[in-house]
Amino acid sequence: MQITVYGDTLCAQVTATAMAQTGHQVSWVVVEPSSRGQLSAGRPLFREQGLDRLFTEQLESGRLTPCFWQDAHAERSVAVFLALPPGQEAVAETIVRQEAESCECEVIINQTMGPVGAAERLRNVSQQVRGTLALVALPDLIQEGNAFLTFTRPDSILLGCEEREGEALVRELLRPFNRRKDVIQVMSLREAEFSKLAISGILATRISYMNDMASLSESLGVDIDVVRVAMGADPRIGESYLYPGCGFGGPGLSRNVLALVDALDNRVSEPGLLEQVLQTNERQKEVLFRKFWQFYRGDVSGKKVALWGAAFKPGTHRVDNAPALKVIEALWAQGVRVAVHDPKALSDLKEWAHGRGDLILCDDLYEAVEDADALMLITEWKPYWSPDWQRLKRQMREPLILDGRNIYDPGFVKEQGLVYRGIGRV
Amino acid sequence: MVPEQDVLTSSTIWSQLADCAEKDKALHLANFFASESDRFARYSLQAAGLLADFSKQRLTNESRALLLKLADDRQLRYWIDAFFDGAEVNCTESRPAKHWNLREPVDNAPAVHEQLDAMDAMVTRILQGHWRGVLGDAITDVVNVGVGGSELGPLMAAFALQSSLPEEGQLRPRLHFVSSMDGSQVSQILQELNPRTTLFLVSSKSFSTVDTLHNANTARCWLARGLSLGHEDPSLLRCHFIGISANVERMTEWGILPENQLRFWEWVGGRYSLWSAIGMPIALTVGMQGFRELLAGAHDMDQHCLTKPWEENIPVMLALVDVWNINFLGIKARAVLPYDGRLKHLPAYLAQLEMESNGKSVSRSGEPVTYDTCPVIWGEVGPNAQHAFFQLLHQGTQPVACEFLMTASRYTEAVHSDSVAELDAQHALSNANCLAQSRLLALGERALDPSLELPAYKRYQGNQPSTTLVLDELSPRVLGALLAMYEHKVFVQAVIWGINPFDQWGVEMGKVIATDMLAVLAEPDSVTGLDVSSVALARHVAGFVK
Repeated sequence: MQITVYGDTLCAQVTATAMAQTGHQVSWVVVEPSSRGQLSAGRPLFREQGLDRLFTEQLESGRLTPCFWQDAHAERSVAVFLALPPGQEAVAETIVRQEAESCECEVIINQTMGPVGAAERLRNVSQQVRGTLALVALPDLIQEGNAFLTFTRPDSILLGCEEREGEALVRELLRPFNRRKDVIQVMSLREAEFSKLAISGILATRISYMNDMASLSESLGVDIDVVRVAMGADPRIGESYLYPGCGFGGPGLSRNVLALVDALDNRVSEPGLLEQVLQTNERQKEVLFRKFWQFYRGDVSGKKVALWGAAFKPGTHRVDNAPALKVIEALWAQGVRVAVHDPKALSDLKEWAHGRGDLILCDDLYEAVEDADALMLITEWKPYWSPDWQRLKRQMREPLILDGRNIYDPGFVKEQGLVYRGIGRV
Repeated sequence: MVPEQDVLTSSTIWSQLADCAEKDKALHLANFFASESDRFARYSLQAAGLLADFSKQRLTNESRALLLKLADDRQLRYWIDAFFDGAEVNCTESRPAKHWNLREPVDNAPAVHEQLDAMDAMVTRILQGHWRGVLGDAITDVVNVGVGGSELGPLMAAFALQSSLPEEGQLRPRLHFVSSMDGSQVSQILQELNPRTTLFLVSSKSFSTVDTLHNANTARCWLARGLSLGHEDPSLLRCHFIGISANVERMTEWGILPENQLRFWEWVGGRYSLWSAIGMPIALTVGMQGFRELLAGAHDMDQHCLTKPWEENIPVMLALVDVWNINFLGIKARAVLPYDGRLKHLPAYLAQLEMESNGKSVSRSGEPVTYDTCPVIWGEVGPNAQHAFFQLLHQGTQPVACEFLMTASRYTEAVHSDSVAELDAQHALSNANCLAQSRLLALGERALDPSLELPAYKRYQGNQPSTTLVLDELSPRVLGALLAMYEHKVFVQAVIWGINPFDQWGVEMGKVIATDMLAVLAEPDSVTGLDVSSVALARHVAGFVK
């Protein structure tokens, strides 16, 4: 089938790659001039383990063709995916109108995250032009860092679809990813959008709840990690999203929760709980800064801090809303020098820091800790899990380890002669 | 040497004004408007974003000309120049009053700008969420501990400028004001706030005001308990206290760390100090750029006052009109009536500015004065006052001069865009009420339909004079000009009356004898030589103390 995927997003890249891999002829249309440069050079916009190679293979096979919005010479397609970044409602409307005017297009699949009701608005646009054109909502449930697998082996697929013809076509497109059992749940456009937001909301709530429990643990003298395991063993609760830490970030989760808060705000109910969740998270992003501040009793000007990890989670190069950014800003404001190591996120971080402040960007993790007064572990990349403790002790001015993801064993680190502070640990 | 007050009341100009007032007694404001179509043009002035309309004052060409001559007779030119030259215009305390210097450009006021920059750094840090409590939390609540000039000005202006947001990316902390000696406010606030995220500004010119020091001490003990720190812990003081004072030594002695000290100078009177670091709550409301705008507006007014001839000079004309009302028309009270709820605290601020400055009965040469000085000043947000004390203004036996204030442009901020139509209607309604009230007070029932037959209790005499001040908008710049206008008006009046507006000896003695009274309260029967009323009251109260 001829397919077009629109958007400069990870979701678009994954969808285009997966569709090409299963035999479709895919045009991937990007809008941003910077994307154009990258794709012309044969580089993917988003780099993730596994995805990079598959993307290149599809390019080479000729089934995946990058196109540019300005040129707009994409083949006319039967199915069109919209996976635009947020805030491009006008672009979305233009695309929908164009596709509705071309006679080939039979279904538009909206993956773009917008406020609840956005898909309905797009459907109204398409129906004004051509009443028979189907428009469905397929909210993006991709998990960054594990994007391709979560798309191709989903636990569930939310499909907002109010026309039978559209459903049949989308089921055909998703058939290769829906084999073990049928995980497609069909509902209205609004229900699909809202379900997606509600899922983000509860995940965020679990994390903020655990962060609250972690602060409490510290004052009660118990180890949150023991409590976490105990809680997770209860089947009503389960193990996932119970890790306390230095806050969640990323372009997706916090944005979705914000969208949910907005949605609630516009309705009658009070957004009390979710606002609290977000506030707790924003506060939590500074938890390592507070531990550092407390250790030095507020006398931190002129000190140096090393950050291990800046990406909002392992496996991605993205730093959007990442806790590292808040920590860096807090440190800058107190006149602290900041050195950062990250396997993938340094160039994104450099771009963010441009015009804001100075960062020492290090390609080697031990280079970052040289003469540091504290080491903050922010993103739990694998190479950070078992450092050379004696080397850290030798190189740092003060061997203060601030573990934002509770990946180290507090007792062992202390035995090595370093000072350890985790999240909710004794 | 002839005592000064005799020079004033026995001067030719004084008797000419008295004669003129006697002659004008029979005239009614309604007649003025009936016969002078150009009255507004002749009796209104504009400057620095303000319009002042004196046309509803009982002024004639003759009385105005005499008042202008009175200003010259009292050597107003000499005094204004002396004031702006930094001469020792505060004679009882042998110092100049240079609050105008606080709003001068950097070249004329390097020391002032040094403190402004220090304040800028602190304010910006707080607004950006980078001022940290002792446990590393960003400050969310700022408590201003101060009384008198260290509260009234900052409170009034911070409240007035609530629609002017700080810069992009800056977040206002919640502001609280603590002044009352009995702990009423501090006890309430401490229940609601979190010690980890609360910062105190201790503001006192002398840093010896007992009200303030007691409140600050209560706050300090609360923080120490809440954060499990010692009372003297330097990190507690570094993270949670900023001091603002003219007395660096006492500030230091109390425990304010040098890097957290903002200073001003002996030549700034407390009630003239909102332009200094005392104005920090204002800066925390509008950001430093807004605060500098406030100073710029005041500077505009300084220049206006210094350079304009009397008849075009707003503060001078306001002062002369007040003198006319008080000394020649016998009007002993003035009501301040803002028709903009954001100016809610303006009447209390002006009550201090004017009554503490000009509530004097001894001339500069030390002789008792034989004429009235500052009237009683009070007020309330206009539309609310209409439901409270306007009855007396319209039909009481006390003549009262009124001062109406209104803003021409409002609700232009994006935050109001959703409700702008409704809010615009409310703004229009409020301004319509302002105009209606000043018109009815001036014209009386002649503002009404002449065919109406009214019983005595429904009649309006009118002829109550008022001034209307219109602000282009209530922005930092226009507010700065408005407040400087009042300051200079007060000074001009003091020059006419020959008194010193910059001291306040009348409030000193009460502080001293209060200390003695503590002993009386503790043991009412141990003290001799007191009046029976004080002893009996002390005994009554002591009976309730366990």
